[in-house]
Amino acid sequence: MRFDSYHPAINLIYFVSAIGLALSFNHPVFVAVSYVCAFAYSVKLNGKKALIFNLCLIPFIVLYSLIYSSYNHFGVTNIRQNFIGNEITLESVIYGLVIGVIAASVIMYMSCVFAVFSSDKVVYLFGKISPKLSLFLSIVLRSAPRIKKYAGRINTAQKGIGMSPSQGSLFMRFKNACRLISVLITWVLENFVESAQSMKCRGYSLKGRTAFSIYRFDNRDRSFVVTIFLLLTITGAGWALDQTGIYYDPKIIMNDVTPLSYLFYAAYAALLLLPMILQIAGELKYKRLINEV
Amino acid sequence: MAHFEIKNLTFTYPTSGGKTALSDVNLKIERGEYVTVCGKSGSGKTTLLKHLKSVLTPHGDVSGEILFEGKPLSEVDLRQQSSKIGYVMQNPDNQIVTDKVWHELAFGLESLGMDQKTIRLRVAEMASYFGIQSWFHKNVSELSGGQKQLLNLASIMAMQPTVLILDEPTSQLDPIAATDFLNTVRKINLELGTTVIITEHRLEDIFHASDRVVVMEDGKIIADDEPHAIGAYLKEQHNEMFAAMPSPVQIYYGVDNELECPLTVREGRNWLSDVLQDKEMKVTSLVKKEADMDDVGTPAIILKELWFRYEKEAPDVLKGVNLKVPKESIFAIVGGNGTGKSTTLKAICNICRPYRGQVLIDGKRIEKYNSAELFKGNLAMLPQDPQSLFVKKTVGEDLAEMIPDGRFSSEEKESKVKETAEICDILHLLESHPYDLSGGEQQRAALAKVLLTEPKILLLDEPTKGIDNFFKLKFAEILNRLKERGVTILMVSHDVEFCAKYADFVGMFFDGNVITTNTPNRFFSQNSFYTTAANRMSRHVFENAITNEDVIELCKMNR
Repeated sequence: MRFDSYHPAINLIYFVSAIGLALSFNHPVFVAVSYVCAFAYSVKLNGKKALIFNLCLIPFIVLYSLIYSSYNHFGVTNIRQNFIGNEITLESVIYGLVIGVIAASVIMYMSCVFAVFSSDKVVYLFGKISPKLSLFLSIVLRSAPRIKKYAGRINTAQKGIGMSPSQGSLFMRFKNACRLISVLITWVLENFVESAQSMKCRGYSLKGRTAFSIYRFDNRDRSFVVTIFLLLTITGAGWALDQTGIYYDPKIIMNDVTPLSYLFYAAYAALLLLPMILQIAGELKYKRLINEV
Repeated sequence: MAHFEIKNLTFTYPTSGGKTALSDVNLKIERGEYVTVCGKSGSGKTTLLKHLKSVLTPHGDVSGEILFEGKPLSEVDLRQQSSKIGYVMQNPDNQIVTDKVWHELAFGLESLGMDQKTIRLRVAEMASYFGIQSWFHKNVSELSGGQKQLLNLASIMAMQPTVLILDEPTSQLDPIAATDFLNTVRKINLELGTTVIITEHRLEDIFHASDRVVVMEDGKIIADDEPHAIGAYLKEQHNEMFAAMPSPVQIYYGVDNELECPLTVREGRNWLSDVLQDKEMKVTSLVKKEADMDDVGTPAIILKELWFRYEKEAPDVLKGVNLKVPKESIFAIVGGNGTGKSTTLKAICNICRPYRGQVLIDGKRIEKYNSAELFKGNLAMLPQDPQSLFVKKTVGEDLAEMIPDGRFSSEEKESKVKETAEICDILHLLESHPYDLSGGEQQRAALAKVLLTEPKILLLDEPTKGIDNFFKLKFAEILNRLKERGVTILMVSHDVEFCAKYADFVGMFFDGNVITTNTPNRFFSQNSFYTTAANRMSRHVFENAITNEDVIELCKMNR
């Protein structure tokens, strides 16, 4: 039901469009929509922790706006002079706020990315570029925890004879730590030789390597693609009709809000909320089915 | 046409100074055979196996010929060799390349350039056959050693090899996982007709199942025959390899008789009944001189109700461990995997701090020692993985660094190193890199390093893991010598046979606790599952025969 059960390509399309659009729009309504959607989705995915984190971001938005406006003095609406005699303008404060909010939305989206993209999915997507690249990533993901574990083991072994980095005088500790690192490097090199042999044994150097994945592109993924592209097209039309344009310098100038504008806002919001809506709908349906039984 | 045919193969490593690693090896392996290659470590088993796959063949002078399915191996292309010749190595960890179980299963098939659909089916097939479904999506780092080795086997079998070569595949596994693994290999041989060529030091599990056993010595094949004949041959030649034979075979040749040689415990039981048929049983138990648990002064180690857990929320690993280890004895703790045996050792040398209970070393609480006092001349631990002790380029340097600077002159230092190296029988290895030694040699070098702290108490974690039977004999000698010099030895082991033979006391560890402590004689004769092969074989006639020698002696007394 969660978005991560979809095909990695779908996850990628969604997040690229969501983050790309959030970065390219600076029309206040669109910015607000991205912010609210990112906020809601990250809380839905990561719960209480995300809520606290997102709330902590708000002071930073305000802070950024204050800093921005004290260094940039474009605009015609003066609010007051600061202590060195420069004008603080309404336009620069608002523009600072807009940038701050955009940055916050992107950060919140990134937290969603981390929740949805497992290492498998990243490896898979790289495999589409080059099978060797994805294999390389997979090897790195395998080696890192292994090396860490072995470092722990050497440490324990050295402790058992009183020569670990946590025993003895300060000088001895330092010496012991150096020894540990040097032998760890030897160990890594030594063991990679054997891993390389095992790779060769299974035909690693043959031409025409493929990348296997456990993902399947099914009808659910197809309908998602159709929907998301429909919504993207509508949003794109809004952009073509200049609904997303705005000037902050020297004066805030934007197009009038017409009934049609609401269609564009709605399409953009729907685009961003799509995974969350699908997840909630899935959960509700599941609950209903369970209750019926 | 033979599956593999080796003709007059001679091989010399470039660095060996003219000493041949393989000399004039001739071997013919038919399709679907199960061939066991045995021999002491360093006899050329691994070198021979590596010649059966071109990518693994070491550099050096080669003469002779290897035919694979009638064609010279060098002419069989890489693609064919990759899929048809499967090779499983010793270390389960090093062979795994990717981070996910499913990806590892598919690795070889990806190399062969197969399409998604085929790979999907093959992987599914393998996962079902090997029972991997429940951990199919796991990270490889979460698997146990046995699971890892099974994964290696499965990922090779996915390429549908016609021959499977295994180089001591179970040396890093505990006995239960090892037996499981070997049974799976047997199943593949029987059900799929895959040819199996295997080297092993745990002959108990595969000797009886082999179609043929090949014995190697100094790079030569000295015997190549079916198992019964091999036993007879080795006995006749008074070959050292006889010590590696399964218990029933050793006992059989210890007793004069005309019956057929038993290979398994079941056959051994029947054989013993037949031998003693119509004989009046005069003696059914041996009188042994036994150490007494209570008749000793201050124990070297006392554990009083130790409780320990690794993390605050994690379950308890130690649940009130009580233990007394008498001075100058060899004390063995046996028990299953993950019951907390190793943790107990760590608690004794202060690596793990129990949250309740006391550790008394020599009657003094461990907290009262500072770490310099504790680890210089008092306590030392040999870890499960001896390799993790080494930190220098040569064994000699590694030993020398244990002696603190300043207190001794360089001559004194050298003589100390030499002396210890002699005790552990590694004098000839002082110039080698520690990582180049074999399992048994590493174990002894690590022991030497630990001994240089001059401990009164020696803690050993699985000291016989991955060591063949001769090294075990040597190792046991060293331990006995140390005991005579007043060292107390506490070891944790899966190796029932070793403990039965050499320990003075045995404790059974279960569920975070030492359930019972006794002398090996009483301990193993009470058990009916967790005991030695000799005891399982003879318990229906003798009361306390624990080792092969006991059974042989009792047999002789009753004839």
